[in-house]
Amino acid sequence: MLILSRKPGESIIIDGRITVKIMRLEGDVVKVGIEAPIHVPVHRQEVYEEIQRNNQEALTQTVAKLPSLTAKAKPTPPGAAAAKNSLPHAR
Amino acid sequence: MNTLELMPTKRYATNVNKVIQIPYGLLGFERDKNYVLLARPEEEPFMRFQKVGDAKRAFLVVPPHFVLADYRPDLSELDVAFLELDDPSEAFILNIVTVRGKAEITVNLKGPIVINGRTLIGKQVIPVNAAEFAIRHPLPVS
Repeated sequence: MLILSRKPGESIIIDGRITVKIMRLEGDVVKVGIEAPIHVPVHRQEVYEEIQRNNQEALTQTVAKLPSLTAKAKPTPPGAAAAKNSLPHAR
Repeated sequence: MNTLELMPTKRYATNVNKVIQIPYGLLGFERDKNYVLLARPEEEPFMRFQKVGDAKRAFLVVPPHFVLADYRPDLSELDVAFLELDDPSEAFILNIVTVRGKAEITVNLKGPIVINGRTLIGKQVIPVNAAEFAIRHPLPVS
């Protein structure tokens, strides 16, 4: 792993197109600003890995016969929460 | 450009059996880019989000209005631009379901699949307000 020392306000540029800037230090938290092209996804690693793991767990279970949902999970009445914004529903 | 707050719509109903492109794949499945949304009456409200041509690679999904009426994932500017969404009503959302046993089903509300119903291009996104949502939101089962 490449380890670089940076001060707040200084940046690192990766592959000529991704800029990682150290914005400021707040106690033991480092604020990092990232500028990347639109097609480069940037995520917090722990959230990314959590979703990745969940996707893998979901895949292995899809062949199982589905339990049926109880009444509580039945559709929420249309309009109940949607009324305030009333976006058109394409059907 | 701003973030875009989405709301559950029933738009998915018009997109059953259509091919949906996920250019970056789902997280952990980056190579699979083409899916089809399959619905069977006996599985309602669940649907299957299946890799085109591979029935074994299918995710169980549910439209979030069956789970939480007030689910409002806030899409980042980058995701709004990538999905070319001009208006929340263009989007439909699918959440991945995990059957963990006969009595436990959970829904991933933290990493929804958001699809532009006009272009049929989608992405598994991490919303700006992802911290508000559970990755294992329990569904009541009978």
